[in-house]
Amino acid sequence: MPARPILHYPHPMLKQVCAPVAAIDAEVSLLIGDLIDTMRAGPGSVGVAAPQIGVALRVCVVDVSASRHGRDNNHGLLVMVNPEIIRREGGAVMREGCMSVPDYTGDVERAEMITVSFLDDQGRAREVDASGFEAVAVQHEMDHLDGLLFLDRITSLKTGLFRRKKYK
Amino acid sequence: MKGSGETALHFAVTIIGKDRPGIVAGAAEALYRLGCNIEDSSSTMLGGEFAMILIVSHSRPFSKARLLEEFKAFGEKLQLSVFVRTLAGDETFHDTPTGELCMVSVYGSDRPGIVFRVAGELAEQGINITDMNTKLIGTREEPVYVLMLEAALPDGASIEDVTRLLEKLKKELNVEIGVRSVTPVSL
Repeated sequence: MPARPILHYPHPMLKQVCAPVAAIDAEVSLLIGDLIDTMRAGPGSVGVAAPQIGVALRVCVVDVSASRHGRDNNHGLLVMVNPEIIRREGGAVMREGCMSVPDYTGDVERAEMITVSFLDDQGRAREVDASGFEAVAVQHEMDHLDGLLFLDRITSLKTGLFRRKKYK
Repeated sequence: MKGSGETALHFAVTIIGKDRPGIVAGAAEALYRLGCNIEDSSSTMLGGEFAMILIVSHSRPFSKARLLEEFKAFGEKLQLSVFVRTLAGDETFHDTPTGELCMVSVYGSDRPGIVFRVAGELAEQGINITDMNTKLIGTREEPVYVLMLEAALPDGASIEDVTRLLEKLKKELNVEIGVRSVTPVSL
């Protein structure tokens, strides 16, 4: 189960809506293994989604337990098949970067707390309440399953505060 | 001193003039005609002036004079000031900061020396300002100054270090100062 190369935008795979997984068969299990290995291989990476390694299926992995922002508040390794966010609360802004869009970062507002339902690697239905950085990471990876990059979410220029004044 | 006939692959171009529609379109058209690529750019309106800073490149070396010539007609028509700085090869690369990135917000009643004192303290500690906006807001009777900057800290320095560093300026300048991390998270 090797780490696989991360696709970079403009690879068309990154802009397509992925298909739900019908059954967790041997192929999907291999994919999950590859996603975990790819995440572990990326420097400081806390998540990878299947389309980032060239598979258009609704599978992603998240693990923020080793990161500074997530080490005190996490569920360890989350393997999420067909994830859906069933509740969102609050909002917080973080400056995000993405392995599929190198050399660029931007401020993105996302829900601060989410409840996400999914199937785990054994096909068991699970629900997890995530908050803080883990919630951000889950939302970022899940966006990949819908062909969305953080570039689609940047809502304001850094100078937004200064746009209101009218010059007389 | 570089002769005007000297050629290069990269230039820094700044364009400033009274704001009106068509400045970006005109600049972009001139660069497109030259076959230049706008690599990085930032433009904004300040005090009714529109200012553009662009790093432009070309696949084959060409001269600053050629660049200025292409801008001449459009610049004169819109009464713009155009400056071109030739970039040597070693000026076109820069290291991405590896330390923490912080945002510093400073605001309070307007008075001389706010930018000077804040920037001075940061510079003394080797903290590099990467982005800065200032604005005079409020009323004529009670002008309020707002300063927002982003700075890259040297390796090992923390957000708390910056908070402590700027703490004394709160009293000295009678301003509010906030420091928060904007270090990107990699996902």
